[in-house]
Amino acid sequence: MASGSTTDDGAGRAGAPLVVMEGITKRFPGVVANDSVDLSLHAGEIHALVGENGAGKSTLMRVLYGLYPPDEGRIVVRGNEARIASPRAAIALGIGMVHQHFVLVDEFTVTENIVLGAEGGPVLDLDAAERRVSELAASYGFSVHPRARVEELSVGEEQRVEILKALYRGIDLLILDEPTAVLTPTEASDLFDNLRKLRDDGKAVVFISHKLDEVLEIADRITVLRRGKVVGETTPRETTKEQLAEMMVGRPVLFRLEKPDVGVGEPVLRLEGLTVGDRVKGIDLEVRAGEIVGVAGVEGNGQRELAEAVVGLRPRTGGRITVDGRDLAGLSVAEIRQRGVAYVPEDRHDRGLVLDMTLWENTVLGRQGERRFTSRIGVMLIRNIKELAARLIRAFDVRARSITVEAATLSGGNQQKLILARELAGEPRLLVAHQPTRGLDVGAIEFVWRQLLEQKGAGRAVVLISAELEEIYELSDRIVVIYDGRITGEFRPDVPPEDLGMAMTGGRVAAEAS
Amino acid sequence: MAVEAPAAPAPAGTPPRSRPGWVDSLVTQGIALITAFVVAGVIGSVIIAAYGENPVFVYSTMWQFSTARAQDVAKVLENATPLIFSGLAVAVAFRAGMFNIGVEGQYIVGMMTAAPAAIFLDVLPGPLHLLAVVLAAVIGAMAWAAVPAILKVKTGAHEVVTTIMMNGIAVSLVAWALLNPLRTSERNLVDLRSDRFPESGLVPNIAPGLGLEEQIPPSVHLTWLFPVALAACLFVWYLLYRTRLGYETRAVGSSAGSAEAGGISIGGTQIKVFLISGALAGLVGLNHLLGDAGYLGVNYETTLGFTGIAVAFLGRNHPAGIAAAAILLGVLTRGEDGLAIHTELPREIVVILEGLLILSVVIAYQISRRVLLRRRQRLVRAEEVGSRAAA
Repeated sequence: MASGSTTDDGAGRAGAPLVVMEGITKRFPGVVANDSVDLSLHAGEIHALVGENGAGKSTLMRVLYGLYPPDEGRIVVRGNEARIASPRAAIALGIGMVHQHFVLVDEFTVTENIVLGAEGGPVLDLDAAERRVSELAASYGFSVHPRARVEELSVGEEQRVEILKALYRGIDLLILDEPTAVLTPTEASDLFDNLRKLRDDGKAVVFISHKLDEVLEIADRITVLRRGKVVGETTPRETTKEQLAEMMVGRPVLFRLEKPDVGVGEPVLRLEGLTVGDRVKGIDLEVRAGEIVGVAGVEGNGQRELAEAVVGLRPRTGGRITVDGRDLAGLSVAEIRQRGVAYVPEDRHDRGLVLDMTLWENTVLGRQGERRFTSRIGVMLIRNIKELAARLIRAFDVRARSITVEAATLSGGNQQKLILARELAGEPRLLVAHQPTRGLDVGAIEFVWRQLLEQKGAGRAVVLISAELEEIYELSDRIVVIYDGRITGEFRPDVPPEDLGMAMTGGRVAAEAS
Repeated sequence: MAVEAPAAPAPAGTPPRSRPGWVDSLVTQGIALITAFVVAGVIGSVIIAAYGENPVFVYSTMWQFSTARAQDVAKVLENATPLIFSGLAVAVAFRAGMFNIGVEGQYIVGMMTAAPAAIFLDVLPGPLHLLAVVLAAVIGAMAWAAVPAILKVKTGAHEVVTTIMMNGIAVSLVAWALLNPLRTSERNLVDLRSDRFPESGLVPNIAPGLGLEEQIPPSVHLTWLFPVALAACLFVWYLLYRTRLGYETRAVGSSAGSAEAGGISIGGTQIKVFLISGALAGLVGLNHLLGDAGYLGVNYETTLGFTGIAVAFLGRNHPAGIAAAAILLGVLTRGEDGLAIHTELPREIVVILEGLLILSVVIAYQISRRVLLRRRQRLVRAEEVGSRAAA
């Protein structure tokens, strides 16, 4: 592999490409995931693949990694046409991939995990392997101890182990599928440092992402996919975030949303020393009418328990929750809903919708007991419910053939719109939104954000729990950071991300009073 | 920067045809059902041929025996009557996410509580007496169902385990009752049974009421419980699809988490539904008890509750499907008699055919369900793409 001199357009492009994909077409029943896609990947270059969910980024890379056979097209590796029938064949060609979900054995050490499947014979020389792992880690600046057990590692460290696993197998091309989705800002910037070292060492890196800021930061070259087709190739120098977003979505996207300027009113939600099992450890929080409070943090730090305790799905073990001054102690979920608490759950399928039921049945879930929808003797007033459903689906632009199809038939974005429509229709006092844009594409995210801002404008209190910092920054009037069940910082939305990141990993920051 | 002009989206794969949703699902499921019948029939043929019989002759004999004369049809419907009730009982619980294996024990207890009402309440005027007997059966079975229901909701004890236990207890309880309080006062009787029930406590056959005495002999016990069973199907349909309890039942059954987040009490719903299931179970034994035997004896009909599980599966837990499935099993049971007379086949061959049919129907339903879902998703996606392009 010629690591090559960096000349050209400054993107480190030199000589013949390492991998060329030509006219790759991959069909799944009913969709063309990749439609004659051309892509060349060069050594010493970080190549970002961007596009909305379902644009075909991951499919294309899975074809390259031997997970899917392409229906048409060919792959040329180092000038020779290659048939890549399995990940094993891909690795033999020097192509490695790190998936979004790691595949590590928790009980094994870092070295054992890295060696697993590449033992190279019946006798395992762990000492030699350990030395090699140490050398590899040192040469790329990875701080990972080879004897640490994986269960003791943070998510960022686990990811490094996954990358080392690929490097240990001597790969020249590393594919990373949405690698920053699980990282804190600090961890992400460490990852970027590692990736730059890999590039400077002559490796090719493919970076799949839909986060445009980081793509512009790390990539040397950017390929944009839309609906399975390449719609453009560019470099960070030649483009802007807005242009990239337009290429991805096919129309201009607004990034800066107007925050409605409403005065903040009475406190609506008040948490005093809220404790939930051993996951939420004494949280104080106040959310006022007309205010969006962002709860930032890495997933799994008590966010789910916090949200579920507020809406009554999980019993608190200590402290007080009041809405409009009234204690929610001992109230059922239904009673808490009646007090004006709406909930957009983190998990659309397990907590939001009944997928087997129709849209109209789903739009009344939570309000089925109201006199408008059920008669005194318990017979459902279907005409009224369908009227409501038709109105909401129009108002929230849920794309569905009719209100009588099952919720399972909708796309993720439309399912989320359906949930929002339902939860907001009751004109709540308080909205608890947990990861409201997870897995949605850019267009749907924009819609959800607008809706949340409208709630603020209408004088409602909103708790926005999210691990997406962009979302937190974009919407919040006030930001609190949750770490290990505690609030580790409270900030104004102009706080630098480094400070947020510090609080997200438990470091208490001199909290500025807001 | 090379950017393609935003092109019109190419419709992916085969363009989805647009047909009304219910027609689509009816056609797909109809095809699935027919395929399942054919597959089960073919595999069954192989087994029948292995016994040295002609499959065509065997199937036509079974069909003839079930349909040739009015009394054959009546016999089929008689067979179907208890199975409709037990299928409904299983299905209702299933819709709330519970597996009521205890229909068996519940109907046995229902027969046991119906017996004293039939024997001792004959002071009531005619129809009221019968009503009291039926109510006694329903209440007895509900009480029996209440135990596992409360145990499940209060302690988390799984209903499959507890109802199986309750089934065993029910059998012993009836044996005890027949030895002691219900034992007949008739002298010199070896049979272990209760007194005969007075006429007013029995359910009459349909045939005389319809003027069909000539075609259907009194030995065929197609009673007024058959129309009651059909009414029960209607009732369950209405309950599931038109009432708040039914709505909450289905929500709890298909997504407990979302139902809970929607403010539905899972435990409360499950207790109510399990009691309704028990009430339906109470009706299972009555065609035998009040339409045929006329007394409670140790030789009462068993396994109706377990067959109900098969009926519910075949009928996809939908009342209309359950009625059809119960009649189908009625045909198979009737066909069994024909095979005993005309062929050398062991009676168990019908059990095998039943099993094959259930297996293939369940598989076919699953496949058609997936096909339908995929087709609908594709349709929705295509429309999304279309409307985006139009925007």
